[in-house]
Formats: sequence, structure tokens, C-alpha cells
Amino acid sequence: MKPRIFLAFVMPSLALMALFIVVPLVSVFWQSFQNTQTLFHEVETENCTPGFPAAICTTEARSVPLPGPDGKPQSQTVFVGLGNYRALLHSDQVAAAFAPGGMGLSVFATIDSYRALQFTLMFTFVTLPLVIVVGLALALALNGVTQMVRGPVIFVSLLPFIITPVIGALSVRWLFASDGILTAALAHLAGHPVSLLSQAWTLEILMILFNVWHTAPFAFLIFYAGLQSLNQDTMDAATVDGASRVARLRAVVLPHLMPLIIFVALIHLMDSYRVFDEIVGFSSQAHVISLQWLTFDLLTPDNSGNRAIGRASASSMLTMVGIVILLVPLIRHTWREHRRG
Amino acid sequence: MEPTRASRPPLTLRLTTIGFLAVWMVVAAFPLAWVAIMSFKLPLDAFSGAPLTVIFGPATLRAGLGLSLLDIVLYAVALVAAWRVGARRAARLAGTLAPGGVRPLGWCLVGFLYALGAIVVFGALLPAVLRGLDAALSAVPVLDALAVPFIGATGEHYRAVWVGHEFYRNFINSLIVTAGVVTISLSVGTLAGYALARTGSALAFWLLIGALVFRALPHSVLVAGYLPAFIGSRDWLQPAWDAPIIGSLLHLVADVPPTLYGKPWAIIFVLVSINQPFTIWMLRSFFRGVPAELDEAARVDGCSHLEAFYRVIMPVMWPGVVTAGLFSFLLAYNDYLVCALLLDAQSQTMVPAITGFFNRETTSTDQIEAVAAAVSITAPLFLLVMVFQRQIVSGLTSGAVKG
Amino acid sequence: MKTIALSLTCVLALFTAPAAMAACAIKNDVPLKALTAGFTAWKSVTAAMADCGNVKSELDQDFRLKEPAAFAANPALYQIGAVANETIVPLLNAGTIRPLDELVAKYGQGLSVNQLIKVDGKTMAIAMDVNAQHLMYRKDIFDQLGIAQPKTWDDVLAAAAKIKAAGVMATPVGATMQAGWNLATDFTNMFGGYGGTLFGADNKARVNGPEGIRALETMKALTAYMGPEYLNDDSTAVQKQFQQGKIAIANFWGSRAGALDDPKESTVVGKVAMVAAPAAVPGGKPATSVWWDGMVIARNISDKEADAAFQVLVQGLNKDMVTAHNDDVVWLAAGYKPGRLSEGVIATVQAGAPAYPSSARMGLLVTALGNRLPDYFTGKVSAAQVLASVEDQYAVGAKEAGLLK
Repeated sequence: MKPRIFLAFVMPSLALMALFIVVPLVSVFWQSFQNTQTLFHEVETENCTPGFPAAICTTEARSVPLPGPDGKPQSQTVFVGLGNYRALLHSDQVAAAFAPGGMGLSVFATIDSYRALQFTLMFTFVTLPLVIVVGLALALALNGVTQMVRGPVIFVSLLPFIITPVIGALSVRWLFASDGILTAALAHLAGHPVSLLSQAWTLEILMILFNVWHTAPFAFLIFYAGLQSLNQDTMDAATVDGASRVARLRAVVLPHLMPLIIFVALIHLMDSYRVFDEIVGFSSQAHVISLQWLTFDLLTPDNSGNRAIGRASASSMLTMVGIVILLVPLIRHTWREHRRG
Repeated sequence: MEPTRASRPPLTLRLTTIGFLAVWMVVAAFPLAWVAIMSFKLPLDAFSGAPLTVIFGPATLRAGLGLSLLDIVLYAVALVAAWRVGARRAARLAGTLAPGGVRPLGWCLVGFLYALGAIVVFGALLPAVLRGLDAALSAVPVLDALAVPFIGATGEHYRAVWVGHEFYRNFINSLIVTAGVVTISLSVGTLAGYALARTGSALAFWLLIGALVFRALPHSVLVAGYLPAFIGSRDWLQPAWDAPIIGSLLHLVADVPPTLYGKPWAIIFVLVSINQPFTIWMLRSFFRGVPAELDEAARVDGCSHLEAFYRVIMPVMWPGVVTAGLFSFLLAYNDYLVCALLLDAQSQTMVPAITGFFNRETTSTDQIEAVAAAVSITAPLFLLVMVFQRQIVSGLTSGAVKG
Repeated sequence: MKTIALSLTCVLALFTAPAAMAACAIKNDVPLKALTAGFTAWKSVTAAMADCGNVKSELDQDFRLKEPAAFAANPALYQIGAVANETIVPLLNAGTIRPLDELVAKYGQGLSVNQLIKVDGKTMAIAMDVNAQHLMYRKDIFDQLGIAQPKTWDDVLAAAAKIKAAGVMATPVGATMQAGWNLATDFTNMFGGYGGTLFGADNKARVNGPEGIRALETMKALTAYMGPEYLNDDSTAVQKQFQQGKIAIANFWGSRAGALDDPKESTVVGKVAMVAAPAAVPGGKPATSVWWDGMVIARNISDKEADAAFQVLVQGLNKDMVTAHNDDVVWLAAGYKPGRLSEGVIATVQAGAPAYPSSARMGLLVTALGNRLPDYFTGKVSAAQVLASVEDQYAVGAKEAGLLK
């Protein structure tokens, strides 16, 4: 295909991505080195709020924005270099911790960005094998039963996958909340009250289970589709050669599915790295947070309207660097495949 | 594909397999089924810690809202019938009804009729018929046991959501956004996917890598940047309206630049873009499954690239397009972040509308209404899977599977 | 097909309730839009405004995320906006709402002076209700065990111990201690109760001191009588615990009192007493703060729109609306008859509870408190350590915002 025609074909898609992904991304990159601040000055003001029976008025000195010539508050944008990154990573606190007499490694447990990173990586690498194994087991199991039940099984299996994630997480949470019925059942089995949402490790287990519940159907579906194109002659030949079931699985089925396993692993890697709905759904922020949640939290204005745009931009840039590092093996794989044509 | 005798699995393995699948089906369906049960109870029952209270709903029953054995049987029969109609007849009907032979339109029509039928039957017809039947049966000595309500259940939360809170508006907004996203995403994506599958240039490679990184981006990174741009669009679009030639053209469309905030069509483009990386990757692998000889043959016959694409390649691509379309649909339908931020109440889609019920100042009734709304928005997803299940599996088998 | 359409019309006719009788004294012909929060009182007020005609309201619990940007647009996307004493700060700071003194003089005869929220001498918002966290307790259980009404937090602890020992409830105390805003607000209330001042000179945070540590220790002592998931409990969760009879005491929002008496949701109708918030030290002021909700008018709209918007706003708070929805909240508008449910809020305000000190720096401090304090409650760090790290995080945020040099 000629480059000109190629460009014509990809242009609409490219333009959309450039406008709605690249442009915001570049602005985020730029903002991560800047701070925009409102200029404040101290003023004595009288403020009144309701009371009984009469309003309560107080006079005090407050920091209020400095109005500019047009009456609008003035603000200034300053270039801070890596300041936002340092503030996000609390580099001074970390340095102090590793100085003689500091708190050492335990400092990382009290800084949000490291907690988020630690959980995100743990979550990604624990759910990855689980999803693949469960998906594979389901696909193999389904391939071994009669045609008649396959339709209903696929239908039911797809439900956790297609359901709106926030709603799925909430419905699972209700089962495990302090008054949820599965908590009650667990407490009955254990013989003492159980609380699953009040410490980090149970929350982490719940989130991992939820994620497997939610994403394993996708893996299952892909693997099942892959099994349909498995060459039956090879299987039969292996059977005639006396290969055991396990041997056939290892020698014929898994190699056939390997490209799919890589594909699923990749998709899962990207999706679980940006874990977010689980944090919101299980409202676990007191115990466990993730990288995307951290960015989101920094960006969300507090009730007085402050938002940490600089730190949020730095946080999203670091998140992106992380995902690129995770993707490097895959990018190399694609490059080789691409060269082959 | 019947297993040969030699490869027939031993009994223990078969039992384990069946047991495993059975356990999985329960795990997969239970949370949703449970939430569905909750949605029919008053808050007192729904949030009770005792499972039997949630199932039988004594407080709901005390409030005079309940189902008798007869009601349950009839509802079950109606549900099964609805299922069979959906799974068996829908495809054929879509073909027959398609106006001017355009199948997608046929599908829309069938979906609409189906939803309408379901609302009428389950919302009005059945309750009315059952009220009459129950009244009639309770007069008969022995059979009256069948007509005595014994499970508390009420549809009032559904009524509150759909009528009281005018949830149908959100439903229509969701339909607009989803339909727009699927259509544009596929038309733009197939072009790019095809081109990417047929070239080995370094540019294509970097494009794919770029798309991959975009696919991995946390959405909150992007979305926050949109809000000021969307709200202030009138200001930054003004120069285009003032420009000499383009401006006069734009004035034909609108006198002043639009405020993009709260406009579903603007959201459509955002969602299409966010989903574009995944779409082109997926479609690219589908197109790689189509032998290049096919379009070369067409080109020899004198077709341009575009003609070859539409006349020769697309017709064999349908399963792949349906699968990619389904993923676009899911993204648009389930999106929360973008829609919540960039749409106002009048143009809000369903998912953000529901989470609105869950916020700080809500009551238990609000929460159950949110549950009812959540259950109702899964209904179309149900239908979709029911109808397209076969196409999804065959689509994946034919294409994406090659990585 | 025809029958289907016919029965559908019947269904719709069945469901559509007759429109409420218009109670609006004016006829509005300027198209207006309002952005408000979504709780019950707002439903009542927006319905009353809609009766004037041409008013579209958007009830959104996350209105605070959109409001600053929507009001900054020119023309503003909404003419009327909901605020509380905290959410008015970004609008004031950005200068996107207009002073209302002229409009009050023209159309606001029915408003009481108490409703005029004055900032630097200018009326910037019209308040509609007051709200405060105050003590709610199960009168029946307290009477049965012979416990008097708690006046201080130590009384609350003693009462909780007694109820637990008597085996009435395993977790008699409830609290809105969800990590984030809720937890931070509970802390600042308690901190104020012990006489602490949140800020020193030059906007420096000053929470790490004896008052801060005592506040945290009292809160921690209370958690021994709470359900284990207290760090997830927001107002709705506490409300549910009350409704289902799982807790007997909570320092809880006045605006939630109505729900405890709602027979559809609650098993404790009429059993919960509403009294002033407890003091932290004997004889001290209640360890809580007073809040208000109200409405503002955008600056970036025409004067004609502002005139119409203000009249509609006043009509939204008319006497008929207040009478019809008397128990939604503690209304400030004329026509309100204080009932049993409002006793707690009124007693709290009269006992001298301070107004919530909303400001930009307070927002930053609340964020830092909400993010950091959970580490203390989960036992990771000591009280002094956590307060030091709160001050650290506040300093980072305040420097970024330009409040701290």
C-alpha cells in the first residue's frame, strides 16, 4: 500500500486520536512542570452566617484573592521544574528516612504515591495469572461438554464481563459489607464476627476476586474461540501416539493458544494497571489506593475548589512511564512480528 | 467435533468439569441475581443481614406488596417465553422487517418492538391479569392457597425510577450516545484497521505502538483536561466563526459557536477517540485474517483501494465488525467518567444518572431505586448478548484470535 | 400494533401523577437554569421554583465539581446555583457570583435578615436552611438503662460502655468517619471542642499539638464501640445503622433526622431524641460546627436574567413550600414551625457552636486530614506522627495553591 493511500485511510482515526488524546496529553505533560496560583492578600472582612435568633457576624483577617485591574482575581503561572514530581514523591521525606536515624523503608508505607504504586503492581501481577488460569480452565471445561449446554454457559459467563463495572463492584460489595449476607455466612462458618472491609488484606483479596470475576470471562471467551480452531487431526495423532491428556495439553493445546494467552495477558496488564473502579466500588481509600485513584483524587477539587493540578499531572506522567515500561517486552514482540509482515 | 472413543474423557474428569462449570455459573450469576432480588424489596428487607428476610421480604409483604404462587408461576412462564422469542425469533424478524433491506435498521426496529412489548406485558398486562386471577381464585375454597401472597415484592422502585425520575430520558440519551459511538467508531476504525493490516512501514508500527500506549492510559488523565475546554468552547471557537471563509460556512450551521458541554454529539467524539486504539488493534488483527490475495485480485480487476475495501473485504468481515462493535458498545454504554463530567442533567446517560443516587445525601429508598435502575440498565445488555452471542464467538474465532 | 400503542398510553396515563398545583406568586417568562444538590430539601425548593414556569433545575450531588467552571463561562451556563458555606468559597474567590443587595431591596421583602449571607459587607447568597451535626440517641434504651442525656463526649463514652455491658447492642456508637471529608470534619469539630485553633500566622496549619492529640484519642476511644468498618461509614451508612437499630448514639447531621422517622425505612420511628452536640470539655461549647445551604446568582448573565432569577429564587423559598415540607430541614425561611426533629440543631446553635470556618486553606487542610488520619486509626502511626504528616501534606498543597510562602 502506498504511503499516501495509507495515510488517507488512517487519517480520520489519527485526527480523532490526536485531538482528543495527544493534545490533552501534551498539556498534561506541560502542566506537570508548572504551578498556577491565585494571588492572595490578607484583608479584614466582616462575614455573617445564620444563627438563632439572629445572624452571627464576625470580623477577621482572611486571605482573599487579589483583584486585578479588570476586577477578576489575578493568578500567576510559575515554572517549577521537577517541583511537582518532588512534592508527589516526597523526596525530602524519603531522603530524611534514609539518613542515619531515619525510619528507613517503612517511610514508603506512609506516602500515598508509593502505597498506590505498591498496590497497583501487586494487583496487576496477582490477577494476571489468576485470570489466565481461570479463563483457560473454563474454556477447556466448556470444550469438554456437550454442545447443548455451551450456549447457556457462555451466556451466563458473559454477564460479569458486560456489566457496568461500577455497578458490578457495588453489587459484590453489598454481599461483603458488614451487613452483607456473605459476611454473615462467613461469620457463621468462622464462629465469630467477620469484617472484610476494615483491613487492607481482606480488601485486597476482595478486589482481586472481583477483578477475576469481572475479567476472566473475557479471557475465557478468547481462549474458547481459539480452541475452536484447534486442529483436531493433531490432537487425534497425539492420542494415537499414546500421549496422556496432560501431555496433549502441554504439547498441542497450549502452544496453539500461546498467541492468545499473550494477547489476553497484554489487555489485562493494561486494564489492571489502571485499576480504579475497584477502589471506588469497595470504597477502600482508607486502606488501599491505586495509581489512577491517586491521580483522580488530586484532580478532584475539594469543597473549597482547590485542585492539585500540578501534582496530578506529575502523577499521570509517572503512571504513563510505568505502563510504557511494562509494555516494552510486548512492543519488541510487535516490532518483530510487524517486520515479518 | 464429537470426541472419538479413544479420547473420550474418563468419568471423574467429566464430573469435575461439570462441577467446575456449575460452580462458575453460580459465582458468575449470584451477585447480579441477588441485586435483582433486592430491587423488588422495600429498604427494610433489602438491607437486612438475614438472607431469608431479603428473599421473602416480610416487611414488604406487611406493606401489602407480595406475590402469590400463581403470580410467580405466571411471571416465570412469561420470562421463559420472552427469552425464547428473543433468542429464536429476533434474527429472522430483523431480516424480514429490515426497511429497504438494511439489516441494522431491522435490528433497531426489532429491539424497539421487543422492549415495548416487554414493558406492556410485564408493566401493565400481567399485573392487571394477575390481580383479576388472584381475586377470582381467592373465592374458590382449595385453590385460594395459590393466590395468597407469600413473598414480598414490589415494582414501585422501578416505577419511581422510570416514571418519577424520568429515567427514560437518560435511556434515550444513552441510546443516542451509544449508537453514535458504535457507528463512527466502526466506520473510522475499519478504514484504519485495514490500512494497518496491509502495510509494513515503520510509520504504521509507531502508530500501533502509540495506540497501544493510549489504550493503556488511565482515562482520568485525559478527562479532566476536557471540562474547561468544553464549558468555555464558545470563547475558543469564536476565532473560527470570525475567520473569513470558514466562518461564513460555520454561520450557516449556527450563529454563535456552540457550548460543547452537555452536547451528546460532542461526547460521542470523545468516546470514539478514547476507544479508537482498541478498535483499530482489534480490527487490524481481523483484517490480517483476510488473505491479502483477495484485495489484490480485486485491484487487478480495476477496483481502487476504497472500492476493494467496501466491495470485497467488508463483506467477509462482518463477524469481526460485530465483535468490535460490541466492544465499542460496551465502552459507550458503560462509560461513567466522561459522561458524568461533560453532560448536564438534561443530556445525562444512564450510568452517571444512577451513581447520582448513591451520593452523600441519599436515603435508603434512593439506594434501592438506584439498584432498580442498575438492574434495568443491564436488561439491554442481556438482550444484546442473547442475540449476538453466536456472532461474538464466531467473530473471535475467525479473527482476533490470531493476536 | 394499535392495541400495543393503546395499552401503552393507558400505562403512561396510570403512572403520570397530576401536576402539583402551582404555588408561585409570579409568572416567569425568562428561560432559567439552576444547578443544585440533590437532597430532599432541594427537591422541594426546585419544584417550587419550577412552578413559576421556564425554570429547569439540575439536581446533582456532585454539583460542586461543575459549578465553578459553569459559572465562570460567559454567559454562565446556569443563572441560579446551590451553595453551602464550603462550596461558596471557590465562587467567591473566582468572583463569578453577583452581590445581591440591590435585588434584595427590590424583591426580597419576605426574606429575613438571618438569610442574608454577608461577605465583606455585601450579600452574596440567600441561605435557606441551617444544619449541624448534633447528638441523636435512642431515648428508649437510655431510659431503660437509666442513663441521662450525655452532655460531653466522656458522657457518651460512659453511656456506650453501659449499653454494651448491658448486652443491648454490640456497637452502640455510630459516626460519619469515612476516610476523606467526613473523617476530617469530625476531627476539626472535636479539635475545636478542645479549644484548638486550626491555623497560625501566615496560613500555617497548627493541628499538631495537645488539642489535636486529645481529639484523636477521644475519637479512637469511641471507635471501640463502633462497627469495625467505621472508616467506610458516610452519612447514609450511619443513617441505615440507626434505622435498623444497630446503633444507639451518634453525632449526626440534622438534615438526616427526618429519615429516622420515616416508617418506610426505619425501625426506630419516634425513638430517637435530638439534642445539642456534646462538648469536648465539661461546660464547653458543643464540639461541632454550624452549616447552611443556600443559593447564589451568577455574575456572567444579563441583569434581566438576574432579576428574574432572583424572583424565582425567592419564590422557591415561599411559605407554602416551607409549610408543605416543614420537616425536610431546619428552614430559615418564613413559615417554618420547629418540630421535634429540629430540636437538636436549634439547641446546638443556641449553645454557641461556631460556624464552619470555610476558606480555601480550610479545604486544603480537610483534604490533608482526610487522606492522612486513617493511618492513625488503622494503627500504622502514632497521633503525633499522623498530625505531623497532616501538616506536611497541607504545606505541600498550600504552597502549590500560593497560600503559603
